[in-house]
Amino acid sequence: MKIDHSLPLEYSTKQNGLNIFGFWVFLAAEIMLFATLFTSYFTLEHRVGSGPSGAEIFEITPVLIETLVLLTSSFTIGLGVHAMRIGNKKAMMTFFMVTLLLGLTFLGFEIFEFVHYVHIGAGLQVSAFTAILLTTLGTHGAHVTFGLFWGTAILLQLKKRGLTPETANKSFIFSLYWHFLDVVWIFIFSFIYLKGMM
Amino acid sequence: MEFFQRFAIPNPSLAIYASMVAIGLTVIAIIAGLTYFKKWGYLWREWLTTVDHKRIGIMYLISALIMLFRGGVDAIMMRAQLAVPDNKLLDAQHYNEIFTTHGVVMVMFMAMPFIFAFMNYVVPLQIGARDVAFPRLNALSFWLFFFGAMLFNLSFVIGGSPDAGWTSYFPLAGNDFSESVGTNYYMLAIQISGLGSLMTGINMITTIIKMRAPGMTLMKMPMFTWATLVTNLIMVTVFPVLTVALAMGTMDRLFGTHFFATTNGGMDMLWANLFWVWGHPEVYILILPAFGIYSEIISTFAGRNLYGYKSMVASMVVISALSCMVWAHHFFTMGQGALSNSFFSITTMMISVPTGVKIFNWLFTLWKGKIRFTVPMLYSIGFIPLFVIGGVTGVMLAMSAADYQYHNTMFLVAHFHNTIIPGVVFAMLAGLTFYWPKMFGFMLNERIGKWAFWFLSIGFCLAFFPMYITGLDGQARRMYTYSEATGFGPLNMVSFVGAGVMAIAFALIVYNVYYSVRYSPRNIGADPWDARSLEWATHTPVPEYNFAIEPQVASSQAFWDSKKKGHELFPGKLEKIHMPNNSGVPFIMSAIFFVWGFSMVFSLWIPAIISVIAIFACMAHRSFEKDHGHYISVKEIEETETKLRGAN
Amino acid sequence: MGELFPRKQVMGFVFSLILTAAALTVYFLHLSFAQGMAVLVITAFVQALLQLVVFMHAGETEDKWIIYGKVYFMIGVALITVFGTLLIFLWDM
Repeated sequence: MKIDHSLPLEYSTKQNGLNIFGFWVFLAAEIMLFATLFTSYFTLEHRVGSGPSGAEIFEITPVLIETLVLLTSSFTIGLGVHAMRIGNKKAMMTFFMVTLLLGLTFLGFEIFEFVHYVHIGAGLQVSAFTAILLTTLGTHGAHVTFGLFWGTAILLQLKKRGLTPETANKSFIFSLYWHFLDVVWIFIFSFIYLKGMM
Repeated sequence: MEFFQRFAIPNPSLAIYASMVAIGLTVIAIIAGLTYFKKWGYLWREWLTTVDHKRIGIMYLISALIMLFRGGVDAIMMRAQLAVPDNKLLDAQHYNEIFTTHGVVMVMFMAMPFIFAFMNYVVPLQIGARDVAFPRLNALSFWLFFFGAMLFNLSFVIGGSPDAGWTSYFPLAGNDFSESVGTNYYMLAIQISGLGSLMTGINMITTIIKMRAPGMTLMKMPMFTWATLVTNLIMVTVFPVLTVALAMGTMDRLFGTHFFATTNGGMDMLWANLFWVWGHPEVYILILPAFGIYSEIISTFAGRNLYGYKSMVASMVVISALSCMVWAHHFFTMGQGALSNSFFSITTMMISVPTGVKIFNWLFTLWKGKIRFTVPMLYSIGFIPLFVIGGVTGVMLAMSAADYQYHNTMFLVAHFHNTIIPGVVFAMLAGLTFYWPKMFGFMLNERIGKWAFWFLSIGFCLAFFPMYITGLDGQARRMYTYSEATGFGPLNMVSFVGAGVMAIAFALIVYNVYYSVRYSPRNIGADPWDARSLEWATHTPVPEYNFAIEPQVASSQAFWDSKKKGHELFPGKLEKIHMPNNSGVPFIMSAIFFVWGFSMVFSLWIPAIISVIAIFACMAHRSFEKDHGHYISVKEIEETETKLRGAN
Repeated sequence: MGELFPRKQVMGFVFSLILTAAALTVYFLHLSFAQGMAVLVITAFVQALLQLVVFMHAGETEDKWIIYGKVYFMIGVALITVFGTLLIFLWDM
């Protein structure tokens, strides 16, 4: 494997460059995935049938906490990548771990939120609105859950194999994924919650 | 026993029982044959675990041809049923099932893999690469497609075929009106193969952007590579839309949600909307690679550089952007206002402009060319007038006011077959004939090929032109019969005859393969067509590593210019080549997807959950695996090269 | 030690908190629907751009124009899909 030392570790082999570029293309596809969910959400938003509407079920506190937790996790993984670029493996792993813990916190709040919705009669099968709301949030939540497992796998590899072109590449790609989830959440926060409570 | 009742066919007929027996016997025959000839190991090592883009391309090709015949049998049955008024050959239920599976099979499981076959086989060769960017992912794409197709076809013998049309509109596709599991099959099978398509899109874009041979700038890429790039861009854009729509449809059917229901706020029209947000770009996904193949063939057999290279590229990019903003023309009559209909009318008509540019470019390429009327060229020349008719009727349909007359009639059926058959099917057959020698090392017989072309073209005109007339007279599509008083009888009989002639053409193509396998000469060299781009610069058969030395490209007709002007294509010297390792995981993972899909179709939750866990286990295995590929040493390359040179 | 301090990331984080606070005004102040939506659209898209440039390093390789082009093309199609659908179902039906 040819390693080009003039580039950051995560770009240093040909395959690494391909992986990062390919992942950008994948993220572009993810934009459309969430755009479709938003399209459906805006279409079905006011079609509540006999169930509750958004204004009736949304609460600002948990949503705000979720937002801050996720924004912070996006910041910490940014620090992790920064640490990786200056070659500090220990700091990098710490920041990645903090990120995953914050992700777990976010997920905990989201699960709590879902249980709450079901409890107050806004379950998946109640109306078109609840279905698309829970599907959109759930798709994001599923991405976060997947990210937690993926991030853990990368951490294990970092620990076992050290900072190699492969592990650096995986970590960088994972950071792209995590930032992207943060962007999606910003749109959920703005156009589902805040718009609904406005 | 109760458990097994769910697998029964709700509307059995003799044909279905016969198919069950036939499928059973075929499976036994394949297993027995593989065991008797001791080919299991060969099959596993050389094909099921391969990550070689060329082999994957060939597997796509074989699958597409098999599906072509399945969809073709559906088509013949439909035409036979409609051949005479008040026919009793099929009942309404079977007719519904047949037009549904015909549409899905032809679009998703015939046309898509056919274009993937050429993309996979040709694009890395055309850009001078050793493989695609992610060979392992490529294998996964293929196997997901393959198992998706198998799952869909399984519906015929287990549980019942889908019967709500290939568009599967809700509420018809909902549980209230489609009680059998058929529509579950539709949702899940297309979901699985759609995942594969999305991965192919990512793979191809990365390959083309990042892995071109030195000197090949974007504007020096061969036209088929450009077409592939633009196609995959659309594919990555719209397949996620389908993924979401299918997931929502699946949830409606399996989990009792109300996305597309008519109660509790659900909106059935949203399905139509999302389906066509994907569905319209999908037809451009099919036609753009076809345009690419025609461009290659026309410039090869006219002996001239493609006329208007830049306008060709620009028109494809414009088509790709416009294709994503025309979807509502599929449901002008749904009830939205004049403003949106006008908007989508205008954008639809605008697409004919870049398409027209391409038609003129091909005509100007032919102008003053030394045309060789080979089989691929015949298809390309037949394509131009026939496709123009399809395009012009498309503009008629694009006018939303007039569309109230054409909507849901045979006129529409005639229109889209008139674009897809001369556009896509002709291109695939032309490409098949054109690339056959590169893939298999011998030519298809030209004389039989020409007969097949004429049968196909004449059969096509006979089969579909009458539908324009009956459609304008009011014959609705998807109706299993009509009364004699309508007067549609004679023209439908003509259609049936045309379908029969087309069937003869396909039989001739099969015979041609058989004949050429037996009698075609094998010493054809690497460049039997005197062609122009890099895929013809390497040996036939193509070695595993494609090019022993990375080519240096100076123009969009790199190989042609090297032949005529003496450009040195391979200036470097041999170095060891890095190649990816084979892997069985893509096959296994896709097989698990099949189990998952099947369990979901029948709401068997426990196997469904187990298979989801198994899928994630496969992904974890991939993450932790240390796979650095292998090297082919200079000595091995030299041996292979000498052997291949000797063979020619 | 200057280059070791993640100045860019810290600035990005502070700015994203400010944008979140700005978006919250639609909840705490009583804006009209149009004003509120204007605030949300601006804060959300600026926030997205911020993540893209500061944290995701979208512009750091030679492929930057292709990456940006691809992302913007997607956003364009996404907006067409959203607004086209809204046109069909809400504003014109």
